[in-house]
Amino acid sequence: MPVASDTTAVAEAPDVAPASSPQSDVVIETRNLSKIYRDFWGRRKVAALKSLDIEVRKGEIFGLLGPNGSGKSTTIKLILGLLFPTSGRVLVFDQDATETRKNERIGYLPEESYLYKFLTTDETLDFYGRLFDLSGAERKRRIDELVNLVGLQGARHRQLREYSKGMTRRVGLAQALINDPDLILLDEPTTGLDPIGTRDMKDLILSLRDQGKTILLCSHQLSDVQDVCDRVAILHQGELKELGKVSELLKVQDVTEVHARGLSDAAKTEIAEVIRRHGGTVESIDNPTTTMEDLFLNIVRESERRPGARRVSAGEGTNEKVAAESEGKS
Amino acid sequence: MTLQPEDFWSFSEWLMRPQSFLESALLQGIVLFVLAILLGLLVGYLVSAVRYGPSEGFYAVARAVRDLVRSDLPGTSARRIFALARLAYKEAIRRRVLVVVGLFVVGLLFAGWYLDPRSSDPARLYISFVLTATNYLILLLALFISTFSLPADIKSRTIYTIVTKPVRATEIVLGRMIGFVAVGTLMLVPMAIASYFFVTRGLRHDHEVVDIKDLGNGRFEGKLSYDQFHEHTFTMDPPAAPGEPALGITDSVRGHRHVVRKIDDQFVIGEPTGALRARIPSYGSLVFTDRSGNIDNKGIDVGNEKAGGGYGASGISRLIGVSSEARRLEYGYMEGGTLGSAIYTFDNVTPARYPEEDGIPMEMSLRAFRTIKGDIVSGLNGTITMRNPDDPKIESNPITFVVQEYDVAEETLPRKIEGNDGNEVRELDLFDDLVSDDGRLEVVIRCVDRQQYLGTTVSAVYLRPAESSFAWNLAKSYISIWLQMVMVIAFGVMFSTFLSGPVALVATFACVLLGFMAEQVYDIRYHLDRGEDMGGGPIESLVRMVRQDAMTTELDVDAVAGKIIKTVDAAIVYSLDAVATSLPNLPKMLGTAEYAASGYDIFNSLLARHAVATFGYVILAFLIGYFFLKTREIAA
Repeated sequence: MPVASDTTAVAEAPDVAPASSPQSDVVIETRNLSKIYRDFWGRRKVAALKSLDIEVRKGEIFGLLGPNGSGKSTTIKLILGLLFPTSGRVLVFDQDATETRKNERIGYLPEESYLYKFLTTDETLDFYGRLFDLSGAERKRRIDELVNLVGLQGARHRQLREYSKGMTRRVGLAQALINDPDLILLDEPTTGLDPIGTRDMKDLILSLRDQGKTILLCSHQLSDVQDVCDRVAILHQGELKELGKVSELLKVQDVTEVHARGLSDAAKTEIAEVIRRHGGTVESIDNPTTTMEDLFLNIVRESERRPGARRVSAGEGTNEKVAAESEGKS
Repeated sequence: MTLQPEDFWSFSEWLMRPQSFLESALLQGIVLFVLAILLGLLVGYLVSAVRYGPSEGFYAVARAVRDLVRSDLPGTSARRIFALARLAYKEAIRRRVLVVVGLFVVGLLFAGWYLDPRSSDPARLYISFVLTATNYLILLLALFISTFSLPADIKSRTIYTIVTKPVRATEIVLGRMIGFVAVGTLMLVPMAIASYFFVTRGLRHDHEVVDIKDLGNGRFEGKLSYDQFHEHTFTMDPPAAPGEPALGITDSVRGHRHVVRKIDDQFVIGEPTGALRARIPSYGSLVFTDRSGNIDNKGIDVGNEKAGGGYGASGISRLIGVSSEARRLEYGYMEGGTLGSAIYTFDNVTPARYPEEDGIPMEMSLRAFRTIKGDIVSGLNGTITMRNPDDPKIESNPITFVVQEYDVAEETLPRKIEGNDGNEVRELDLFDDLVSDDGRLEVVIRCVDRQQYLGTTVSAVYLRPAESSFAWNLAKSYISIWLQMVMVIAFGVMFSTFLSGPVALVATFACVLLGFMAEQVYDIRYHLDRGEDMGGGPIESLVRMVRQDAMTTELDVDAVAGKIIKTVDAAIVYSLDAVATSLPNLPKMLGTAEYAASGYDIFNSLLARHAVATFGYVILAFLIGYFFLKTREIAA
């Protein structure tokens, strides 16, 4: 898929909230947020974040993108109150980020699952449930629900030290959702997950959004961000470089894409002719390729449907079938 | 065991010190709290002012205070504290700290080999061994578990998942403390039970009758076999009533006796009795008279008596220089063959409290100091005279005794005794004639031998109205150990909120150590105050060491350098003094083990004082820990 290289063409300045959107719709607001890391003696080491102004609105999936060291994690930590801003403010649900009470409505999945390895899944979730002051019955209900959601039914009574990375990630996600949060912060949610896990995670993020929850995720897996995010902010060296709707940022204004099925070679030539007649340039007319992710998922699903059988090697039509399936899905 | 006056204070006396409020524990506690909070705010402000500028710094500190009062304390939830405590507990348990208990029990199994079986007081040896061993082991464990956990969580970032929940800093600190106390308790209880059986079983032994002599009329005299490095002799009276066994009792050797029964011509030796005791003493007040009979509060110092006396608990009055007493004497001495005496006044001497037929049990552990060799084989001679405090002319005839050094001598103050009622010599009744109407009795102790001295202290002579159970007394020692453990855990958790694990460990250890060294710090301060050259403070003594100067000479440097050295030393010593005074008095708490080992009931008031002091320090540590955690950037 073509990606816009000339971003100025589409940058619209959506960082200013539309006048129609009521104030209460803003879940996270950073105002001129800066963070300078200092050493023990107070000497300036690095400016991790420079005057960041973003707003995350209710019910959207907001992505923070950027290379390593661009300030993504710093932003998330400032929002959570794990770090204090050097200047500027962070408001979460209209409260200061260092306010403990805001955490009642927040779920946080850290970059790596920083969980207690000596606890079992059930104990972990029970522990975090208690931290939200949930009653025993409520905790039991939520734990059963979440264990099913993240698919850890078989491993509830094993200590986390025995878990694979993907499994710990699932427990991490479950603990982030234990309080049925309104705002969910996901720091690199798909690291350590296999393609199925990644797809499940993405589906889950979308379904959480559909339940009306707000999600802020930061990632350097560009495909993740592209697949799920409504809006993204791109950071580089602590500065906001780009902010806007994914659909708009990625749209290449002067390229048109047509998907069609069952065309003969003659028809394709004719279409190229028509384009040329209208003054357009044909860049390529070709069979589309699918993504490795879709291919992998299809193999796994087919193998689950018919265990033992080897998949028919990729020939004509197969790719098209796959493309059609994946298209129908999204 | 020597007790100092402050050991006798009742709980309210300790807390309030009605006569001298400056010495009271309450005032000391209040001052400590206020100073700690002021200092904490000042340091907090300075740190954040450097970081964020003067006004932002003030705002940060003010916010921490506001949050504590307005949201964090009221918002603290028992369920969250319990969850965090359980986490700390599980962490420790799953890291297998309980192995230590197993090691302790294994250690006990082999300890029997190394405890001197020939000791003259095996009970004391066994009890002080188990108490000291558990005490240091538990404190060491408390030190390790409490200081490493929180920094490890911060380092591994598991703390991120905690502080991003609606968890207050108050709950994190309290949860840790409670969790670790639970772990410590779980370790201490089996240790205490194992210790009890170790002591009771370890002292149990048996003898056989090796020699028996029929004295006629059903009376016997016999000798028991040499076992466990000692032997006994016994006498046996005829049975009290036909059909009952004849009973006899052995002499007391190494602190115990055996009951001997005669059943069908067989002599059955009972288990050792009297070794494990918990005497409840009733102490009196003590004044001395000098050789001319004038009242003297201290007695004579025969040398080195101040080393064991200490400064006592004078609260902040010593610190701010209102009272600057020297170390007190441990034992005061009276001169023999003169009017020198020690006069004890006992309260509450009533027949109801001392119902024994033959008199009031009184015990003495006196010391002797000889200036001439005299008759070295036998002990010094002394006398006990009873006197009516309302009318000193009513006085019993002296009862003579021989001083048994390093031992508790049991005497009886007889109910009927010859004496002078002020007019004539007749038989006096103890309660009717010698005890005053309000239940007071004076007991005067004198040394008879000329040029010899007899030493005593308040706790050396006491009446013994009752006896408590040994098991309960041992339990009280363990409660005292438990309190020390709580104290160390509180300090460890407090330091771990802002220091890394090893540094927090060292800081906590330094606090414990300074608590133990407090009296030495007071010494230096005392000499500094009096302008006595005793080697000076840390810098002066370093200079003296390097120059190999004697301790008592003038410091041989030029005037300006001398002035600087003395000023810096004074600043160091006064600050150290303030720190040492504000730290918990662990040696005093450790000292309760000595009560149990010596066979004395641990005063409930003493335990209550320790408990309240511990509680106070826990609150202080909790507040300090809260502020540090609250103002800390967890992810920095």
